[in-house]
Amino acid sequence: MIAPPGQGLALARGDVPAAAARTRIAVQGLAKRFNASGREFVAVDDVSFEVKQGEFVALLGPSGCGKSTILNMVAGLLPRSGGRILIDEDTVETGKVNPRVGYVFQRDTLFPWRTVEQNIGYGLEIAGLPKTERAGRVASAVEKAGLSGFAQSFPRMLSGGMRQRVALMRTLILEPEILLMDEPFGALDTHTKLEMHKTLLEIWERERQTVLFVTHDLGEALTLASRIILLSARPGRLKEDFDVAIPRPRDPVAVRETAEFGRLYSHIWHSLGEEFRRTRAD
Amino acid sequence: MSNSRTVILLWQLAILAAILVIWQWGFEWSRALLPKAYVPKILDPYFVARPSLIWQSFLRLGCFSDAAGFSACITGSDNNLWLATLVTLKNTWWGFLFGWASGIAAGLVLGRSDFLARVFGPYIVALNSIPRIALVPLVILIFGLGDLSKIATAWLVVFFVVFFNTFEGTRAVDRDQIAAARLLGASEFTVLRTVVIPSALAWVFASLLPAVSFALIGVIVGEFIGAERGLGKLIIEAEARANASEMMVAIFVMMFVGILLAIAVRSLQSYLLRWQPQFEPSA
Repeated sequence: MIAPPGQGLALARGDVPAAAARTRIAVQGLAKRFNASGREFVAVDDVSFEVKQGEFVALLGPSGCGKSTILNMVAGLLPRSGGRILIDEDTVETGKVNPRVGYVFQRDTLFPWRTVEQNIGYGLEIAGLPKTERAGRVASAVEKAGLSGFAQSFPRMLSGGMRQRVALMRTLILEPEILLMDEPFGALDTHTKLEMHKTLLEIWERERQTVLFVTHDLGEALTLASRIILLSARPGRLKEDFDVAIPRPRDPVAVRETAEFGRLYSHIWHSLGEEFRRTRAD
Repeated sequence: MSNSRTVILLWQLAILAAILVIWQWGFEWSRALLPKAYVPKILDPYFVARPSLIWQSFLRLGCFSDAAGFSACITGSDNNLWLATLVTLKNTWWGFLFGWASGIAAGLVLGRSDFLARVFGPYIVALNSIPRIALVPLVILIFGLGDLSKIATAWLVVFFVVFFNTFEGTRAVDRDQIAAARLLGASEFTVLRTVVIPSALAWVFASLLPAVSFALIGVIVGEFIGAERGLGKLIIEAEARANASEMMVAIFVMMFVGILLAIAVRSLQSYLLRWQPQFEPSA
């Protein structure tokens, strides 16, 4: 089932010298079973993969394949039914928050009663950082997100894209080394999405966090990621693992014209197509 | 142009003038012009007084009729208009405050604990099914004719409104917002303080207006049934003496008090809930 690592064998791993980097996330034999009205169904079945320091990995698969479930188990939001997850060689415990890990939701989870500034500063505030120290970091985060002039606005006054920028900054201000993202731009229109890709690429290419990014959007995965892990339709199993050797810095519009983008797009498209057909056959 | 502000204001003033004119002279005119059977009884000044009489009663009750004796009147008569209004407002305030505070506390506790919510659920439903007005004589029996029984009545009415709003608000907290707070490092207590309570407060603030007007209703009803002073007492006394104009004075004062409280609460609400797309006060 699983293709040899690095589909395009002729291509070097684009971003990270794989052998040298240490493993940040290790998922081993992960399984998740749900009980729905007495019937058990398998959401995730025997998934194993690793994410190395500084890698941007996209977890790609058809809707309902359990990719968000995997991410939530990595984040410790959801108990697992089998297997192991290690972050920096420590087993992930459900309900225990790892301060090195940041998480960005698909759904809007901003606190609507807090202003943009107060939302972004939330993590620092509850960590007990004094107001004066907080103000400087919040102000620079607001600027980095391109939200100057909106610092005092409430989320209801912002567009969907701006809200997701605030959510991103609310997580990034805590300087997580590992970033888990659950289809963070899934609810945005195409244009806003491209702008968010630009923002995220700029940040990531500068700071090189270790990222695990869940998406069902192939174009998005190819634009952002240095590696794509393709999951099968339900139950989610590992199907293929690709390196995306598009040079950086990337531009979200220009990448679409590269030969590598086109080659991988059509290959993965067919592979995904098989999974969609399998879903329908069920 | 027909719905410009000026036109609307002119219409409103015209209607007011028409009401006042018919109220003042309508009964005489209809008696002079119509056969006896067709004279509308509702216009009889014996029942509804008339604006000029109401104004005179207002001056008398408000201690304005005797310029020299204003302070003597204020201190001398124990149920002049000002004292009655202040007493009713004071009792409304305390009843509202206790009802609101206890409603929030109970709503938060039961909203956060499934166990307590299930244990107390049937009792709350049962108590809430009693028409609150039916309890007023009991409250007066327990707390006496003084102000305490009015505060207790208002409390009874306000408590449940605020309780149910807070309870629902605490239940309706977005689970993803709680998860987000946890992932940003919030402890259980911090989640309660920074997510659950602010989120539930939206519902609590939305219950402000009904809570205030219910408190006023509770106090007035309490004063009807047994009291020493207050606007409700003024009405009951006027009824006993068949004095419609005094009754009308008290009713108008209540109207103004109600309007002022509503304006104050609405501006407070729109400040406290300024972050919300739209809020709808629920009764």
